[in-house]
Amino acid sequence: MLVLSSVWFVLGILIGALANAARLRPASWDRHGRLLMLGVGALAALLGGWLGVLLLERAVATAMALWVAVLGITLPWLVTREWFKAKGIAPGK
Amino acid sequence: MANQMHKDMKQAPPVFISGKAAKTRFQRTRMLGRAAARVLLVLLFAAGLYLSVVPAGRADLRTTLILPALLSASEPPALTPADESVRHTQLIIPAPAGGVYLDVYAPTTPTPLVPGVRGGVVIVPGVGDNRAVPQLVNLATSLAHAGLVVMTMTTPTLIDNSMSAQDSDGVVQAFETLAHWPGVSANRIGLIGTSGGGPLVCFAAADPRIRDQVAFVALFGSYYNATSLLRAFGHRAFMVNGHLQPWQPDPYPKQVLADTIAGTLPSLESTLLQNAFAPNGKPLTAADLAQLSPSAVAAYHLLSGDEPDQVDANIAALSPQMHALLDQLSINRVVDKIRAPVYLLHDRSDPSIPITESREFAAALARIHHPYDLAEFGIFSHVLVRSGLDIGQLLSDGPHLFQVLSNILYVGS
Repeated sequence: MLVLSSVWFVLGILIGALANAARLRPASWDRHGRLLMLGVGALAALLGGWLGVLLLERAVATAMALWVAVLGITLPWLVTREWFKAKGIAPGK
Repeated sequence: MANQMHKDMKQAPPVFISGKAAKTRFQRTRMLGRAAARVLLVLLFAAGLYLSVVPAGRADLRTTLILPALLSASEPPALTPADESVRHTQLIIPAPAGGVYLDVYAPTTPTPLVPGVRGGVVIVPGVGDNRAVPQLVNLATSLAHAGLVVMTMTTPTLIDNSMSAQDSDGVVQAFETLAHWPGVSANRIGLIGTSGGGPLVCFAAADPRIRDQVAFVALFGSYYNATSLLRAFGHRAFMVNGHLQPWQPDPYPKQVLADTIAGTLPSLESTLLQNAFAPNGKPLTAADLAQLSPSAVAAYHLLSGDEPDQVDANIAALSPQMHALLDQLSINRVVDKIRAPVYLLHDRSDPSIPITESREFAAALARIHHPYDLAEFGIFSHVLVRSGLDIGQLLSDGPHLFQVLSNILYVGS
């Protein structure tokens, strides 16, 4: 499981980097925002992978890690965007 | 020189315009990169969701994990971290026709929390003791690595190179044992029969005790009608589109048929017939044939293929017991009682059982509108993967095998 967890961790970091490239970082994460995105991606991927093993099976755990990681890094962006919208403030201002 | 520099500086405005253009181009590239990254994230999300949550996707993923192991006849080490670790156990369960020997390959990880996720397969790997055949062990282990509980089974009759319809009771018992295996969902268990295991699997799939629970039936290199099989042995040919196509069967299926038919004969005749088709057996002499009954002589000629023009007469000369045995061992007697979808796989140039048997089975299923799929391959020799396959063969048969395997695994996903 250590090898598999490492794979999920690296996968999460890559997805975090991709999210940085896609500018999905919440505007409020100014300081160390990029690093935070990588961390959130890695944690979400680990969570997804372990959930995959517990709920489904090991063979599909990596696929689960993939979509949970994408969801994990997208969620803060979506939430803050909606929050700013509700407050009537343009994100990043 | 100074004048020249002054002149250059005077030409600054065009440089300023090209800088603005470069900035615009840079911004456009950044926007494109951002859009590409977002599209890639959406694709990764969709792919991950499909492969883990949707049953068809899980089946595709499992097939992707299993197929390389199946085609290379060995497990590729690169997939090992994603695989379930597997425990192999052996069991013997009592059955009316003798004990049933089970080899169970099961994932060692705890049962998934989502109920009914773990499927199972009972494999009847043909006649003979095939429990240690590397390709069977590899298949069972690969399926177990992909999360299935796999049970391969055999019986004393099969180990003794013979066949008996009563052994289907052993398949039912194996199925019921697997249905009570921790974590296995009873309605996600399929039956796979290779070669002579195919009919036993079909008889079990038609058995009222389990026929509503069987998720799928897959037959690989199996026969449909024992009499038409014997006819092909007698002709040393089989019929394709109204034409006889020459065919030379391997010695082993002849030995199995001889041993099976010999059960209907008195002891002396039985021994003579069995010895004639045993490994290193010699053809019977005129004196030997004189000791046999007309039905035993007819059976001998059908199996030895030395009277290809007398096949119909020899079939007619078989004893009522032999006819009854052949009928008992034929799938056509139960075809309308099978409820599960049937998948038929066959080697195009199978040297043990002609491909026409699977085609005949498929035609019968089509007539009764039963769900089925027939796949013909060139990468197998009977039921084993050929060695030294070239890339062309793999590319032509690989996608078809993927599709069939995915369909089979979908039922258990």
